Amino acid sequence: MRTVLIVDDHASVRAIARAALGAAFSVVGEAADGSEALVLARQLRPDVVLLDVQLPDIDGFAVAAALAADDDPPVVVMMSSRDRAQFEPSLRESRVRAFIPKERLSASALADAIA
Amino acid sequence: VTSAIYLQGRDLRGAALACALAAAAAATAAGVALATGQVRATTTALAVTTVVAGCTWVAGGITAWLRQPENRTGPLMTITGFVLFASALAQANRALPFTLGLVVAAWPAALVGHLVLAFPDGRLHSRAERVVIGLAYLDVVVLQVLMLMFMGFEHVNGCPCPRNLLFVRDDMGLHSLLMGTERAIGFALAVAVFVMLVRRLRSASAPMRRAIVPVASTGLLTLGLYAVSAATANSAPALSRGFGAASGAALAIIPVAFLAGLFNARLARAGVSDLLVELQRMPGPGQLREALARVLGDRSLELVYWIPETEAWVGINGQPVDPYAEPERAVTVLDRGGRRIAALVHDPALRERQELLDAVSTAAGLSLENERLQAELRAQLDELTDSRARIVEAGDRARQRLERNLHDGAQQRFVALSMALGLMESRLRSDPEGAAELLSSAREDLRQGLDELRELARGLHPAVLTERGLAAALEALTAGSPVPVTILAIPEERLPENIEATAYFVVAEALTNVARYASATRVTVDIRCDGGKLAVEVRDDGIGGAEAGAGSGLRGLADRVAAVEGRLSVKSPRGGGTTVRAEMPCA
Repeated sequence: MRTVLIVDDHASVRAIARAALGAAFSVVGEAADGSEALVLARQLRPDVVLLDVQLPDIDGFAVAAALAADDDPPVVVMMSSRDRAQFEPSLRESRVRAFIPKERLSASALADAIA
Repeated sequence: VTSAIYLQGRDLRGAALACALAAAAAATAAGVALATGQVRATTTALAVTTVVAGCTWVAGGITAWLRQPENRTGPLMTITGFVLFASALAQANRALPFTLGLVVAAWPAALVGHLVLAFPDGRLHSRAERVVIGLAYLDVVVLQVLMLMFMGFEHVNGCPCPRNLLFVRDDMGLHSLLMGTERAIGFALAVAVFVMLVRRLRSASAPMRRAIVPVASTGLLTLGLYAVSAATANSAPALSRGFGAASGAALAIIPVAFLAGLFNARLARAGVSDLLVELQRMPGPGQLREALARVLGDRSLELVYWIPETEAWVGINGQPVDPYAEPERAVTVLDRGGRRIAALVHDPALRERQELLDAVSTAAGLSLENERLQAELRAQLDELTDSRARIVEAGDRARQRLERNLHDGAQQRFVALSMALGLMESRLRSDPEGAAELLSSAREDLRQGLDELRELARGLHPAVLTERGLAAALEALTAGSPVPVTILAIPEERLPENIEATAYFVVAEALTNVARYASATRVTVDIRCDGGKLAVEVRDDGIGGAEAGAGSGLRGLADRVAAVEGRLSVKSPRGGGTTVRAEMPCA
């Protein structure tokens, strides 16, 4: 089973994401901001980092760029409650694998995104 | 001698009259003394010149004093006149007046030096000037007395002199030493005064120079002649007497130079008529300053205008300026019909030409008022442009804040809700109990999301304000305030929509500030509509110190009030509570 790190500043979103992914993925950690995400990603080395775009400290895309520079980087999937259209330029420039609108997040949506 | 003598109106005229009478009496007494042979025949001419000089000094002094009561030059000149009278007593043939005359004989030299250096305002301006003049007085007062103590007068110029009352013993050596010292010091001080005057003339502005030159030249001429006369007293007595007489004549002329410098009266009249001709040509913006600068002979002259609405000074282009920014410049505020309209920032020397300033500002009154109106208009335009930009920015910031609040609040709740519903759908069959748990948490999310939306909507615009008016809206608003609010008065009738909204937001912003910063225990709200004007006042008993600076909520509020042609004022002394008051039209 592939391992996932969930990064979102809202506890309720993290809880539901954990429940929604639980059947098909192994959620190895949760981070509430960008710096915690970087620490946990390097410590736990998950296969996938599910990353909220807007975080209280570092922007999600900056976290993604930092992770992409690591050796053997994880697959990064961004999520947001805003439209995808707002992030299109950043998504194109980054090495992020996919973008999932938060309300459509499910185990199958994530599996499709990283397939 | 240097103490200021300030007299006003009738007191001053009385004092002047007394001085004039005293001078007349002194001159008459001198005349009687001459006629009755109480003056030594050999020095009659000297006595006459000295008394004449005393008369011109007293007359000049009184004139200057009456014209410029706040200027010390007048009183100082008058005193010099009387000292001259006293020094004429040295020509008497009796012991007491003779001795008295000898004691004060050198005082006029120090007084003239003092007057010349203190011209035109009658004050010494630097420590160096005060030291020089102080030494001069010491020299002519103390050394003169010491010298007299050791001099018998039997041999002087073959003079049949009366007794010297200060005489201790005849010691020609000591006497010569003391006299030489007195004169050497006097000469050195005269040179110092000369150097100081030259330096002042060099750095002086044109009007100041014009005022100083006649005084400085006659003053220095007198001191120079006196110095030569003193230096040649022993070696060439005849030459010395000639220079002494010339110095006496020059001394009599000095007051005329002082009066010329002080008033420049003819010049003033000519200048004003030039100005009137120039104003006929309707000068354009900025040309009024040029015209005034030319007439007043002060190129550096600046013209600033008073804006009563904001109680501030502005330049011709409406930009704010501080006329008192440079302490070495003088400011003359110009009124028209009892209202302040403008101020001249000018060379301090012009203060001595108050009459010219008055005449010029009267002549330029209408043009000044026109330029003031233009400056006011420009200031208003600038303020309008600025406040418009601030209102737009405030709108942008408010929309940003709104987006943020929606995103962080309701939108987040609904996203979580949607995720939960998706999860529920997948578990409905496999895990009905888990699904029921998710359902109740989803309901909670929905409830909180709705609350947040309601609060947001209320912040945007209270529906109760449009539906039921200011009184009902403020009742609802103040009910939620953490600090107890007392409403003293609110108009019952409905007001124009934008006025009601502005009044509401003034109170709302003020109450928000009270809750956040004021540490107040109570607040009063007072809203009254009188004579077409709505006054909204929110007063707390907190710590004060609020500022309506850039970026604060109060600044935005002031713009909002200004947009309905109203005015916001904030009084917030430290420790004295805060009063926010808005006035706007309500008809």
